[in-house]
Amino acid sequence: MKQLFLLTCGLALLASAAAQAPTGSVLVRDGTVLTVTDGTLENTDVLVVDGRITAIGSDLDTPAGAEIIEAGGMYVMPGIIDAHSHIAISNVNESSAPVTAQVTVGDVLNPYSIALYRALAGGVTTSHVMHGSANVIGGQNETIKHRWGAVDPEGLRMAGAPRTIKFALGENPTRVHGRGNNLRPASRMGVEYVLRETFNKAIRYQEAWDRYEAQVRSNRRAVPPAYNGQLEVMADILSGDIIVNCHSYRADEILMLMRVLEDFGVDRVTFQHVNEGFKIAPELAAFGAEGAAASIFADWWAYKFEVYYSTAYNAAILTRNGVLTSINSDSAELNRHLYHEAGKSQKYGGLTDNEALALITINPAKQLGIGDRVGSIEVGKDGDLAIFDAHPLSIYAVPQKTIVDGIVYFDIDRDADDMRLRVDPEAAIDTAILHTHDDHHQCLHEGSIDLYGFLANE
Amino acid sequence: MMLRYRPVLLLCALMACVQVGWAQVDSGNEIPEVTRTYALVGATVVQAPGRVLERATVIIRDGLITAVGRDIPIPFDAEQVAADSFTVYSGFIDGLSHAGIPVPKEQPRAERPDDPGFPSDIEAGILPGLDVRTLLKADDKSLADLRKAGFTAAHVVPRGRMLPGSGAIILLAGDDIHELVYSGETSLFAQLASARRMYPGTDMAVIAKMRQLFQEARRRQRIEQLYAEDPTGISRPEYDPTHYALFPVIDGNRTVYFHTEDVLDVHRALALQEELGFSMVLTGFSGSFDAVDKLKDAQIPLLLTLDLPEDKRKQNDSQSADIDSTEAQPTDIAGGLPEVATPAYDPLLRVQDLNDLEEEKRNLEARRDAERKAYLESAGALASAGMAFGFTTLDTKASDVLPNVRTYVENGLSEDVALAALTTSPARILGVAATMGTIDVGKVGNLVVATGNIFDKDTEIRYVFVDGRKFEMEAAQRGARTSDAEAGSAVGTWSFTASTPDGDVVGTMVVNDDLSGTISMDVMEITFTDATFEDDVLSFSAATAEIGTISVTVTITGDEFEGVASSEVAGSIPFSGQRVNDP
Repeated sequence: MKQLFLLTCGLALLASAAAQAPTGSVLVRDGTVLTVTDGTLENTDVLVVDGRITAIGSDLDTPAGAEIIEAGGMYVMPGIIDAHSHIAISNVNESSAPVTAQVTVGDVLNPYSIALYRALAGGVTTSHVMHGSANVIGGQNETIKHRWGAVDPEGLRMAGAPRTIKFALGENPTRVHGRGNNLRPASRMGVEYVLRETFNKAIRYQEAWDRYEAQVRSNRRAVPPAYNGQLEVMADILSGDIIVNCHSYRADEILMLMRVLEDFGVDRVTFQHVNEGFKIAPELAAFGAEGAAASIFADWWAYKFEVYYSTAYNAAILTRNGVLTSINSDSAELNRHLYHEAGKSQKYGGLTDNEALALITINPAKQLGIGDRVGSIEVGKDGDLAIFDAHPLSIYAVPQKTIVDGIVYFDIDRDADDMRLRVDPEAAIDTAILHTHDDHHQCLHEGSIDLYGFLANE
Repeated sequence: MMLRYRPVLLLCALMACVQVGWAQVDSGNEIPEVTRTYALVGATVVQAPGRVLERATVIIRDGLITAVGRDIPIPFDAEQVAADSFTVYSGFIDGLSHAGIPVPKEQPRAERPDDPGFPSDIEAGILPGLDVRTLLKADDKSLADLRKAGFTAAHVVPRGRMLPGSGAIILLAGDDIHELVYSGETSLFAQLASARRMYPGTDMAVIAKMRQLFQEARRRQRIEQLYAEDPTGISRPEYDPTHYALFPVIDGNRTVYFHTEDVLDVHRALALQEELGFSMVLTGFSGSFDAVDKLKDAQIPLLLTLDLPEDKRKQNDSQSADIDSTEAQPTDIAGGLPEVATPAYDPLLRVQDLNDLEEEKRNLEARRDAERKAYLESAGALASAGMAFGFTTLDTKASDVLPNVRTYVENGLSEDVALAALTTSPARILGVAATMGTIDVGKVGNLVVATGNIFDKDTEIRYVFVDGRKFEMEAAQRGARTSDAEAGSAVGTWSFTASTPDGDVVGTMVVNDDLSGTISMDVMEITFTDATFEDDVLSFSAATAEIGTISVTVTITGDEFEGVASSEVAGSIPFSGQRVNDP
């Protein structure tokens, strides 16, 4: 019975994977190529054919139909990967229960979200769009590529990317469910209890189905146990099919989750935020077979009590202790300058250019289980590239072109004022009001920061 | 004086009016109709899209169409409707509607369940076993409103959230629900409508819950089958109305009508359908022009929304017109004002200066206009792609329904396809093509009688026949238009004499500008609204507590009138009068 369910699901997945994403061919000529995994190559061409990088070298021939981009004096880096984002989805939190593993943001992708295009304008080609942090065990996430203009949500999915799920520790789940609804968890202890209880239920659930499937071979009249979509997902975590991504700040609760996962035999986890990761970097590196990974903010903290003990040296400390580390945005604004965020790891901790770039390319790719496909410029990998007019770790760098699967989706020379795919036919037309220098201060007094006016005038 | 009817039939017609009007007041005291046979004579009869008879006759008897064609003998007992200037269509069918389902009164904010992750199915809006027939109200105003737009039948579903219940096909006339209902349990209604502050509280949770319900229903059905074969050794399956209501859907015996509000919903509904494998009719899909190919590939029956975006530019214009002039033109929702020549949308526009707001604004407005245009053209686009579809009025005010169909026609939908979407297509999708959707002998007597081509803006609906019952449209707009143009000669104060069997009764009749008014006598005063005045004939009906509904039809000649007043108590009596003064 369950096999039948799984077969149905599998067929549906196959059907969606069969819808091939469009690919293109492009020759990026004569740029400074920051491969991330193989150093920096001066005056080098990168050839992408039908969406894949097929050659890196000099004086490459242009295949018929390939677009040519002259990148002399420019810097070519792998498309940036944002390991923690909430763009291009219609829902973020299903906050009604402490455990909602059965929901997935992949069911509510929104390809019309302008945030996709804006991220492209910051060189980002892949985002890990996540469920929110209201629940101890939240929904499943989705790894998407920024194929702007694909109006079918299926067109955003990165087919074949491993499944991931959102967990959350600390203040958020205890506030929403404990203080908000007088339910477990009301404390960090309660969070651990919910985790262990749910994993134990999943073990019993899987046992019941295994027992039934054994029985039904000899007894046609065997009665199948109840179907539970939530415990199906939990059982998939236990069998290693889903990578855990856990919202977390404090060292003690991070250690707690590692103990819980160890007890249940789960060894792939990426901690998100991890502001106190610097305290337990060796412990993170020692977890499981490959270590626990960390996806962090460069320098963002103190927005609530559990996030006060933080440092901008976090990325450097984690990296130098052998923790697979990425820097993420968690924001539709910050994702447009993740290269700045990566650069901060050089100011605070002195990471090398390659180490800094890895924080937003190959490292998040590995965390998401797509490190063999994206995250560096290598023959055989996806043709996802970001081209800058200066070194991307320079504060003066401006993204010029962003390429996904060999197709140019952002080009600063073709960046019209209105790049939205759809508009509301009934919406009022909003136009920005440009404040003069004098009334800028007035705005601040009124409590609103008019960034537009600020930039235009300062 | 031009009489439409022979005098005896005038009386019949008046009596029929009385009967219908009165039944709405108190259905316990009904008197039989004089005849259930009607002859529409000399009309342009559009039997089906593309199948037109000129100067033809349609006979309806006992609720059915019994003859269509030229040179049809008129039955002796038929009420004749001189239809030589009229066009007759098969009654329109609403593919999905809440007609007849009262809007629930504003509820006080419901208690949130103690554990919002596990609300009851009722709290969560999961009621697949709820039968819409138990919710129907025969006197709900929405039925008459939809009838005024030419609709005679509708597929109705309960209001609610993700799974509100099962649908029924109803006829849009009847004194109680037994007369309304044509067939029940015809569908399962579904929509991506989350519960409030409880699970499933988001679209993604609604989708997850649908999966859970279908998978678990399959399992429970399996256990039911095992138990039915032989209960020995199997625990008794528990009573479970929610999952059991899904069994016919799993078996393919009941179709899910999945209502979608936008193109994102469309993708989500199609993905669910593909994954769970249920039979589906997709409804709504406003603005789905991005998904035309996908809709076509899905080969799923479609019921397109009649909700169209409003023209914001026009609204702004008319607001400023209100300021500029007191003679602002009335605007209808879609067509209307002459197009203002505006520059086309330039998708590549990059203003040179941050301060060039005007240029940017102009372009954004042009884009918004283009986007709206795409909505208006969406029906034509579906048809051009070779897809047949019906209409749903689910998100549309009844008074916007016909204007918006016309807007689709003005924007590229052929009249034949539009008519099919109102008649034959929904009949086929709903499985009632054997009895509805065309004007053919043996089908249900559902007709629309219009003053001309129904897709012309000025065409009015004069009669709607539902299940062989005649409804004369005393539309407010007709009254309003008449009052503008020619109400003048009826407006004023009149003295009247009514010659009853017990002697003459005298009194005063006042007709106001808006064709409302009063009849005052010693014993009582009667108030009427919505009178009609056309070709010098003033007519109105008014409900009274004392003598039931009275109907008056008089012909005004100068400062005198002559005619008939009738009521079910007093019968028909001569009614004449003279003008006392102008208003």
